[in-house]
Amino acid sequence: MERKVKAIGLISGGLDSTLALALVKRQGIEVKAVTFYTGFCITETQRRKGGRADGTMPQNEALRAAADVDVDIEYVDISGGAYLDMLVHPKYGYGANANPCVDCRVFMMRRAREIMEREGADFIFTGEVLGQRPKSQRRDTLRIIERDSGLDGRLLRPLSAQLLKPTLPEQEGKIDRSRLLDISGRGRLRQIALARELGLSEWPQPAGGCCYLTDESFARKFFDVLDAREAAGGERRIAEDDVVLLSTGRHFRLSPRAKLIVGRSEVENALLERHVPGRARLVAKDPILGPLALVEGEPTWEERQLAARIVARYGKGRDLPEVVVEWREGELVEEYAVAPELDEGRVEALRI
Amino acid sequence: MDATALPAPDRTLDCSGSFCPFPIVETAKAVRALGDGAVLLVIATDPGVATDMPMWCKATHHEHLATFREGACWKSYLRKRGR
Repeated sequence: MERKVKAIGLISGGLDSTLALALVKRQGIEVKAVTFYTGFCITETQRRKGGRADGTMPQNEALRAAADVDVDIEYVDISGGAYLDMLVHPKYGYGANANPCVDCRVFMMRRAREIMEREGADFIFTGEVLGQRPKSQRRDTLRIIERDSGLDGRLLRPLSAQLLKPTLPEQEGKIDRSRLLDISGRGRLRQIALARELGLSEWPQPAGGCCYLTDESFARKFFDVLDAREAAGGERRIAEDDVVLLSTGRHFRLSPRAKLIVGRSEVENALLERHVPGRARLVAKDPILGPLALVEGEPTWEERQLAARIVARYGKGRDLPEVVVEWREGELVEEYAVAPELDEGRVEALRI
Repeated sequence: MDATALPAPDRTLDCSGSFCPFPIVETAKAVRALGDGAVLLVIATDPGVATDMPMWCKATHHEHLATFREGACWKSYLRKRGR
């Protein structure tokens, strides 16, 4: 009996990867979906913080897509040290912000290749569309991703396949090239029409944009961590701990050797509380409790006072002449009676 | 399914304190180690499990028996199905 063709589809749950999943599956190919956890997904962070600002809880789009198209799905955690090292030293550089999209795709494809080999699959496919993204979805970078991941000829982009060189599974007749597509560019009209044709009723709006690394404000904080470590004579590196903190709270650079992070909500205060070890914990105490804040590094006495004043500013006692802020650092517990810092210009100058 | 009518689990997986997507990642690992027809109870504190577990079960063809809140936790019951 002839073995059924099997493929691994990398999905985010966005419209394009959902369509790619459906296009390959409708050719009778056995499909397994794989989705990667990087630690930088905005939707996942929103869920951890109790949902969106409007009170709704975003769903896990990758799981929804796999359920809609009826394919098996595997969640793969790539958020560890090797991924973080790649983010700090990308071979192909960054996009507009802290997004090394080409290197990130190569990293993911290498993991996908391992999964393909483990599963005995014939090829990998993605929802990438030629010309849709300025860095990672150009013809030359699509080729780099294929080459550097060791997937030569085994990486199919079903939505743009007819605009690209035929892959091995197309040449071998494992998938019918004539039933693949020739979509290019940033428009979504063809994808939306195809989704309706395939009976898909749900997809996230807008497309993409789920990665913190593409966010300008997040990128400032990301590079600030690297620059501060290097300036202090350390190595340019990012740790798993940093990833959570970078998406939590308001960040202020008090000096090259000290940074303040102030929680913006009860959920963020609770998240910061989990990252106290190795940092100073500040909390506005008297007369009204909150918010909670962390200080990293080695602040001077003046910087401790400034941190306490900023913490007081974001508490409910901001209009009072004096607020008591508790400073807890290991065994050391001190209380600073400070006037909340109300100089908007000064606070903004420190904001990262 | 009525919570009182749920079968006794063959294995209980406590994912309390871990965030999305790790309850699902751990569930997948646990299910792989179970025999067909076995029942897994997953306990989680991330409310995302309430939407994730039914979708994961649908995609992977395992039987989702119930997910409900109990105090600060969410409990999900599922039955492994052979593919």
